[in-house]
Amino acid sequence: MPIQTTVVGSYPKPPEEGQIFRVRKTIQGLDKGAASLEDLRAAQDELARSVIAEQEQAGIDVLTDGHVRWDDILTPFARTMRGFEIGGLLRWFDNNVYYRRPICVADLEWGGPSSVDAFKFARAATSRAVKAVIPGPVTFARLSVDEHYGDHDAFVKAIARVLAQEAFELEAAGARFIQIDEPALLNAPEDLSLAADALRTVTAELGEAELTLATYFGDAKRLGAELFDLPVHRVALDLVAGPENRELISSIPSDKKLQAGIVDARNTKLEEAELLQRTIEDLASEVGPERLSVAPSSGLEFLPREKARAKLERLCAAAQKVGG
Amino acid sequence: MSEVDLAGPGLWTTSVGSFPKPDYLTKARGQRARGEIEREELQELERKATREWIEFQESIGTDLVVDGEMYRGDMVAYFAEELPGLEIGGLVRSYGNRYYRKPIAVGAIGRDRPITVEWWKYAQSLTDAPVKGMLTGPYTICDWSFNEHYATRRDFVLDLAKVIRDEALDLEKAGARYIQIDEPAASTRMDELDLVIEAMAIVTEPLSAHTITHICYGDFHNAYPKMLDIPVDQIDLEFANSDYSLLDEFGDNPFTKYVGLGISDVHSHALEPVDDMVDGIRRALKYIPADRIFVDPDCGLKTRTVDEAKQKLSNIKAAVDIVRGEL
Repeated sequence: MPIQTTVVGSYPKPPEEGQIFRVRKTIQGLDKGAASLEDLRAAQDELARSVIAEQEQAGIDVLTDGHVRWDDILTPFARTMRGFEIGGLLRWFDNNVYYRRPICVADLEWGGPSSVDAFKFARAATSRAVKAVIPGPVTFARLSVDEHYGDHDAFVKAIARVLAQEAFELEAAGARFIQIDEPALLNAPEDLSLAADALRTVTAELGEAELTLATYFGDAKRLGAELFDLPVHRVALDLVAGPENRELISSIPSDKKLQAGIVDARNTKLEEAELLQRTIEDLASEVGPERLSVAPSSGLEFLPREKARAKLERLCAAAQKVGG
Repeated sequence: MSEVDLAGPGLWTTSVGSFPKPDYLTKARGQRARGEIEREELQELERKATREWIEFQESIGTDLVVDGEMYRGDMVAYFAEELPGLEIGGLVRSYGNRYYRKPIAVGAIGRDRPITVEWWKYAQSLTDAPVKGMLTGPYTICDWSFNEHYATRRDFVLDLAKVIRDEALDLEKAGARYIQIDEPAASTRMDELDLVIEAMAIVTEPLSAHTITHICYGDFHNAYPKMLDIPVDQIDLEFANSDYSLLDEFGDNPFTKYVGLGISDVHSHALEPVDDMVDGIRRALKYIPADRIFVDPDCGLKTRTVDEAKQKLSNIKAAVDIVRGEL
């Protein structure tokens, strides 16, 4: 039985060595007044197409647009919502990558779609399934500054109400897979029931789309098996940064699926093919091949382009060997 | 603990390290990368730009001068290029539209020869003010590199610490009285702060110079006060970009070292008014005496334009002069 392959989200924007880095040049041009927003859109379209083609060629079943239009996972949403301003740079978890911290200064309201156009573009660029990715409400709140609500629960719930509209629009645009990223939940076990409430809000108006709750950059042992009670169909675990996650897998209930992050999206060293294959065999025999998808440990943007591609090729080759 | 030998009542002005490269140098670096000009030609322009920055710092009366790092690209890649065991990898993004070549550890790390000493000597020959020796710390080089060689991060960091210690000793031998070992990554993982401390001890233990480390973008709330265990004389921190909220930590747990007080946000084009900077210094004086304070921008200024950087530095000096008058 085939093993589904997928990605967590982001993909490197630079081209392979020696190629022209059009998006970077265009943004530099934009800053100097030598390029227009249409130029940027065209450069991003081209990059999205090439990133999608690269995932297809590697053999990824459920892919993304690589978030090539985004600087981080929060800013595009915070910019569109009413009530947020964009603040200073802050470290993105334990990476040498920085995001701009959203600052909530007023009641949060839906201000139009944030990610739907990019999703539609990606969907039209491939015959494979495209996964839409949105930030989770707890992570969004914890990585932002709240200068307005003065109450964490109220802030999370307000974000969830706006994200619910985004998720609804994504499904209406054809998204059959929606991933909600909650990496910050790993260090916030006290937010678990709040996360459950917020996720129910986000997904309240959805129909058939398969919902994945994604965690990465660490293990979920502080959350324990309760993580699997969250109202989603699939849970993504990072087995590279969180090897202890391996022990949690036996507690996954039979109605939940697993997205296993098994190649290191943050180090260039390539995994041995045989080791990957054995890992996939073990996981498939434990949760059943039909409930398993395999993926990199997190978004791939932490790697140079060639390495990201090589990692996906190894992942897919190993999944192919196990699943046939 | 090495005390400061500068004149005056304190609030000495300095910089964190990098300055923007003038257009002619940026252009020449591109030409050199494409093999269109010789190395010597590029170096002549790097020296010219260094002279200009030293002259500027002297013109505004900077107490502790930096060379501005006209000959460096990225703060980690610069060392990685020179150290056996590290090679330069592909482009990865750090934020926005900024990318860097992230090094890869592919073998045991060593040092064939001094890396920064000739540039330090050159810069010091241009001015009577002391010039800081500028090194990137072992923990940060490890954290900002890929690792394909070492079994553990600790092995990687401790090998780097020995190499940076040797470089610092060579700087000291050449006459450097102030040596900064930047560890911007130090506040990344609280469970590795002990490793930061262990590595820094290897670097600073044999030194008699005044030692400084710069730390930024981190989880200060959790890293403080343990951060004070890092064995250096001075910790340089960004205050402006968090509206001086770090000072709140110093009430319960006094800051026990010299501080580098960052009073200008380097990631903003906006020029802070002198009044805001004056206010920031006055707030800091409630916690730390003037003769324990160096005043500088939040971080390296290399991402600003030359004019923006000069204006920020001039405003910092103007703010310091006002507060010094009140001491």
